[in-house]
Amino acid sequence: MRSLVRLSAEGEGFVPPSSNDFNLPPIFGENAYTTKPIFMVFFSVILISVFFIAASRKAAIVPSKLQFAGESIYAFVRNDLARDVIGHEFMRFVPYLFTLFTFILTNNIFGIVPLLQFPAMSRVSFPYVLAVFTFVIFHYVGIRKQGLGKYLKEIMFMPGVPKPVYILLTPIELATFFLVRPLTLSLRLFANMFAGHLLLLVFIMGGDHLLKGVIGLKLVSPFAFAFGIGLTFFEFMVQCLQAYIFTLLTALYIAGALADEH
Amino acid sequence: MKREENALWSIFGYLLSGLLFWGGVGWGLDSWLGTSYLLLLGLLVGMGASLYLVWLRFGRE
Repeated sequence: MRSLVRLSAEGEGFVPPSSNDFNLPPIFGENAYTTKPIFMVFFSVILISVFFIAASRKAAIVPSKLQFAGESIYAFVRNDLARDVIGHEFMRFVPYLFTLFTFILTNNIFGIVPLLQFPAMSRVSFPYVLAVFTFVIFHYVGIRKQGLGKYLKEIMFMPGVPKPVYILLTPIELATFFLVRPLTLSLRLFANMFAGHLLLLVFIMGGDHLLKGVIGLKLVSPFAFAFGIGLTFFEFMVQCLQAYIFTLLTALYIAGALADEH
Repeated sequence: MKREENALWSIFGYLLSGLLFWGGVGWGLDSWLGTSYLLLLGLLVGMGASLYLVWLRFGRE
């Protein structure tokens, strides 16, 4: 009898996770400004500040473990991202690139930290804002360096092409620089975080649901959980990679705007 | 390696914006003139033009 009840309860079915799971309710009152992602973003800023202040405060010739960790991250962004990509003017952009990298990385990793477990970047407004920053910076740098007219001319008119062909090519160049670049930059980060979180939800919630089912389903449930755990490690990789790619592309765009010719 | 990565993302961007822009133009003309083949034509033109652009930027050296 009991198993029959269980089976009929089973019939009501599994509610698969959907995009609704990303709309978290406000914590205080009835407004859109006190949701969990907002607090997590503020928390990440505090966390990053505390970590790097602690890591750099007692700087010594023989570094402590904390100092070593902080300096490794900084050296990675400065040498491997900024210097190798941008070239001799790179020092100006290190603060921005470093902030961007640590901010995205921390918020991404929050997606798999127990209790936090939500990547803020899976709400599309956060990547949009970051992409707008990058967009403004790389165009501003290009215009400052080359002047507005020359900068636009470099973008619009590829040298060595017969004039009528520009009708075909110039719109593509303009669309690339002013539309596709910021859009792909933000959507790549957003989609990766969104899909990753959804994937984890499917396996963990699915495993939980199977565990509440009949005995046959209970036996399958560990596999779902095992997959969920495996995917968590995979997610960690994706989260680091996406933070890296966002910063790398920002550096590449700045380098392109600084270069005298393509 | 950084150069190759740059080329990879730039090429992706060009192909996408070529398709988007000229495909969009074709689609707009289609719905304006009531035809149905201009979208395909626009996509092909966009693809061709962005491939040409990619060749101009990365294939000439």
